[in-house]
Amino acid sequence: MSKVSKLDELSRSWAIAVKDMHIYYLKPSTLMFGVLFPFTLFLSFTVGRDIPIDRLVPMLVAQTVFWASSSVGPTSIPLERRLRTFERYLSAPLSLISLLFGKTLAGMIFGLSVSVLSLLIGIIALGATVTGFATLLIGLALSSLVFSAMGIMFASIPTENPGDVMMPLTSVRIPLLFISGIFIPISQLPPVGQVAAFMSPLTHTLDLIRAGLGGQSNFGIAVNIIILLLYIAAFMWLGTRFNLKIMKSE
Amino acid sequence: MDNAIEAVSLTKYYGDFLAVDHVSFDIRKGEIFGFLGPNGAGKTTTIRMLTGVSRPTEGKAFIMGYDIVSQSVEAKSLMGIVPDISNTYDEISAWDNIVFTARLYGISKAKREKRAEELLKRFNLYDRRNDKVKEFSRGMKRRVCIAMALVNDSKVLFLDEPTSGLDVESVLEIRSMIRELNKEGLTIFLTTHNLEEADQICDRVAIINRGKIAAINTPERLRQTMRSVQSVEVAFKEPSQNLIQELKQLASVSSVEKRGDKYRLLTDDPPTVLREIWNYAERTGCMPISINTLGPSFEDVFMKLTGKAMVEEVHRDKGKVGGMGRGQKN
Repeated sequence: MSKVSKLDELSRSWAIAVKDMHIYYLKPSTLMFGVLFPFTLFLSFTVGRDIPIDRLVPMLVAQTVFWASSSVGPTSIPLERRLRTFERYLSAPLSLISLLFGKTLAGMIFGLSVSVLSLLIGIIALGATVTGFATLLIGLALSSLVFSAMGIMFASIPTENPGDVMMPLTSVRIPLLFISGIFIPISQLPPVGQVAAFMSPLTHTLDLIRAGLGGQSNFGIAVNIIILLLYIAAFMWLGTRFNLKIMKSE
Repeated sequence: MDNAIEAVSLTKYYGDFLAVDHVSFDIRKGEIFGFLGPNGAGKTTTIRMLTGVSRPTEGKAFIMGYDIVSQSVEAKSLMGIVPDISNTYDEISAWDNIVFTARLYGISKAKREKRAEELLKRFNLYDRRNDKVKEFSRGMKRRVCIAMALVNDSKVLFLDEPTSGLDVESVLEIRSMIRELNKEGLTIFLTTHNLEEADQICDRVAIINRGKIAAINTPERLRQTMRSVQSVEVAFKEPSQNLIQELKQLASVSSVEKRGDKYRLLTDDPPTVLREIWNYAERTGCMPISINTLGPSFEDVFMKLTGKAMVEEVHRDKGKVGGMGRGQKN
């Protein structure tokens, strides 16, 4: 029997991602938490306040990539547990990491699409300018991957109801908005808040997007990229460990 | 290597609860192996461990010689699984379900499209290939599920309650499909509540009870080993009101069951019971109109080994919505 190569595994992950795109992108909970929620939150925090464009657009783009990327996995995995289609992956010839990577890719592409939409709104309606295309692209790609992996990690909660995942996930997502410079600039946070801001992946997303749109990164682009890469590895590893634990206990 | 499936001391604990207790068996290539047991006996847990969905707490399982834990990709490449509920992707078409499954098995585009066409034609679904599966009947979904399990030219097919909840026509169709697939060389592992099904289809059966294998043998040999549950079935022209009590008094009868207008007298010595019935008839004038001696039925064997009536199990199963849920470990 021929061995399954890494490329084969990647192609199987891609098959999962494509199937998820067909089935879950238009599910109510994906649209609510992935599209409606970030735009509504953005409007409620910005309408009537005199916020300069160089803060406003990065805030919008960072928020949308954050919410949209982390909303697909927590919708698809519990539903697939309920319908027992998740078992199809577990009994298929692919590793757990490839399965979770496929799921992560679906969230990543959704996050990228919604954030590109918000970026276009920022450019066309609000007059933002892209000054560092590569930085912006890296920022969006890494951020959508990190937040999608975060959603997948939370979706490891063994439940058949997406709400049971969205609840704890949202209770982490909302505080992150307040410590990552989205609504309150990091310089205005107390010292402990600034340490927390450094630890938050969303801070580094905002930094990279700001740098791509003509602003400055607080912690430096290299640091931003390293932190996001570390979070991707950590979330993927934890997601795999949690799923393995479920396989042992179920 | 003659074994398609090998379970070696397979054990599963859920917390402190021992669901499967050091179960061992071998299934030869080309065999149809039935796995029977009451609810909660450990059937589904065993199948989940054999297919890699759940990790064993102890023990090992091999599929065509590959360890399901340490060589899971190789083992899983050779098997197809039809769970107790049809876990199709209802929001995509039958065609897309099969093609997606083929992609999970790494089958090339040309081959997967050819295979999908073959399978859909074989299972009479080709005309509905572009319809979403949510529009299908239960029987049709079951067929899609079986087609998905066969897309990789699997060598071993696991079927968990394949005919449960289906109409008679679909049941007959699926049974004949199982026989046909087996003739083509596929090894089949099936769990069922239907003893008649196991009796008719399976080369060998294992009866599992409370997580332990109670017996493994051919259906016929299992019946032969149960001499104590032979019976004499008799119908009387004008049965007296106390007939059951009177029949129970016969020396060689261990118990009496009324089945319609007939009385079933359980015994390990049918010839003596026949003489006793004749003496009873002469003494009381209650004349028999038909007498049959019966070997133990498969249901008798099951009851003897598990202490539970299969009818009870089937009714309990029918009461469940959508079959065995994940929370309802079996």
